[in-house]
Amino acid sequence: MAGASEQGVALTSKVISTESLTKLYGRVVGVKDLDLEVEEGEVFGFLGPNGAGKTTTIRLLMGLMRPSTGSARVMGLDAWKDSVAVKEKVGYLPGDAALYEKMTGEAHVKFVASFCRDASQVETAGYDLASLLELELERKVHGYSKGMKQKLAIVLALMKKPPLIIMDEPTNALDPLTQKVLYDILNERREEGATILFSSHNLPEVERIANRVGIVRKGTLVGTERIEDLRGMRLRNVEVIFEGDVPADLDLERVPGVSGVERLGNRLQLKLRGDINPLLKIVARYDVADFSVSHASLEDVFLEFYKLEPPGDLASAGNPVPPAEGGGDE
Amino acid sequence: MNKNIFRKTVSERLRPTVVYCVGILAYMLMLTAVYPTYRKLLTAKSELLKNYPKGLLQLFGVKSINASSFSNYITLELFGFIWIIIIAAFVIAFARNMVSGELHEGTLELLMAQPVPRWKILTSEGAAMLAGIVSFVVVTVVGIIAFGSAFASSAGMSYAGFAAFLPVGICLALAIAGYSVLFSVLIDDPKLVVMTSVGLTLFFYVLHFAGVFSKIVNKVDWFGIFHYWDPMGVIEKGSVPLKSVLILLAFAAVGFSLAIWAFQRKDIK
Repeated sequence: MAGASEQGVALTSKVISTESLTKLYGRVVGVKDLDLEVEEGEVFGFLGPNGAGKTTTIRLLMGLMRPSTGSARVMGLDAWKDSVAVKEKVGYLPGDAALYEKMTGEAHVKFVASFCRDASQVETAGYDLASLLELELERKVHGYSKGMKQKLAIVLALMKKPPLIIMDEPTNALDPLTQKVLYDILNERREEGATILFSSHNLPEVERIANRVGIVRKGTLVGTERIEDLRGMRLRNVEVIFEGDVPADLDLERVPGVSGVERLGNRLQLKLRGDINPLLKIVARYDVADFSVSHASLEDVFLEFYKLEPPGDLASAGNPVPPAEGGGDE
Repeated sequence: MNKNIFRKTVSERLRPTVVYCVGILAYMLMLTAVYPTYRKLLTAKSELLKNYPKGLLQLFGVKSINASSFSNYITLELFGFIWIIIIAAFVIAFARNMVSGELHEGTLELLMAQPVPRWKILTSEGAAMLAGIVSFVVVTVVGIIAFGSAFASSAGMSYAGFAAFLPVGICLALAIAGYSVLFSVLIDDPKLVVMTSVGLTLFFYVLHFAGVFSKIVNKVDWFGIFHYWDPMGVIEKGSVPLKSVLILLAFAAVGFSLAIWAFQRKDIK
């Protein structure tokens, strides 16, 4: 699915829209004042660390939970009040999908297909998907590995060819080859006009398959950006190793776009946005042993763009995670 | 009702239902095998029973000490206590798996991702439970009649009585099911669902027990389901006590209705 963002996507209408969507678990914030819009035909990556509110948002969109305040609309329908109609149009992959242990994969396919109007076609599509993912459907689920369970859950989510696909951490427990197959399937679905929203904390995955990304932290949507725009910011990680200690008179304040400067003995690390030449000119005045530049990850771009502190601070940030029975990765 | 969910639930609960049915049949077969010996000791046992506290005999539904017929014997030995424990265990285990169990296992999310209204999910699973209850009660009654006729004596066998017992037994089970399903919806922890359901069933039983001994408690005994449970009377008279059946059904209806109401609003976390 590489290059999804480069391909033209016809954006016509909002498939998902939330307005001040808030879910509280008692005093604990699940999500707060979330305003999210996903257009038709988009592949939207919902990015954030564990406990950020991704799964809560997805469950609100699926009508599994009622918003405390605000609203969520899916394909023009109220996600809570019209949840049955919403589910007819959505293929849903839960995070850590659980299946009926005593049923076979085939029985699962038949069971889920039986809820569709064109059950036999959906069932056939399920078998085709299972074949693509190299999944044995004859075995009972209790004999499945975690990866096989995830494959079956993916089959169940995608087999009815829904116009909207919502997936919570879809590549959990999948090996790289199966991940590639899944990306290809999603790419095919997108080309057929499906809209896809998926959550992830795997940044390369988001970069690879999404054409727009939203980052959620502490229950709040920090921002949404197109992948190309983020890449266009040309944020780089720079590391310079000097022959001696980092010169004390090295004046980096005059260099535009420099941030996150760290001096460790003879090693200088920084982030640079924009033109690299002013930095090169200043550094060239000193004896340099090594100089390396790498393109910053999407996470770094996001953190830089929104001036956020790195993740991992959630536990101490006064944002207690939902109770244990909250499930998912949240 | 959704037939797919009904079928899935029946399929899932088929094995435990068969185990319960085979278990009750085995127990009844054992009781039947003991019956000839019991009859021989009847005189001595009658004397012994006369010395039992009256309240205790009432509690177990023994109105007259007459176990000379197989019907009376089996009613006395089975329906006073053991059958209640078995049917309550069957129903509570079933209810535990309905919402709380599926939530705990995580499968509720898969079920609720399907385009089916919540109330249909619960009523479909409830219908499967009803099928299980009916099967168990029918097996009990058919077993009594079959074993009694084959190995004991069909003389004095109250066919009408056991036929009348069918709706009463089913309604008692449904009454227990009503509040157990409600607890399954309200409480996320399956163990707590079982404890609460067993606790309330025991409370009703003890309330009935205490009502036998205490006039004050007797005044509130109507509040519990066992006030309407008189298997000996039903089998002896051979007629369905309509009032008791309706009240037990009302217990079930209130429990199920509240369960549906709560499930419609429940957050699936």
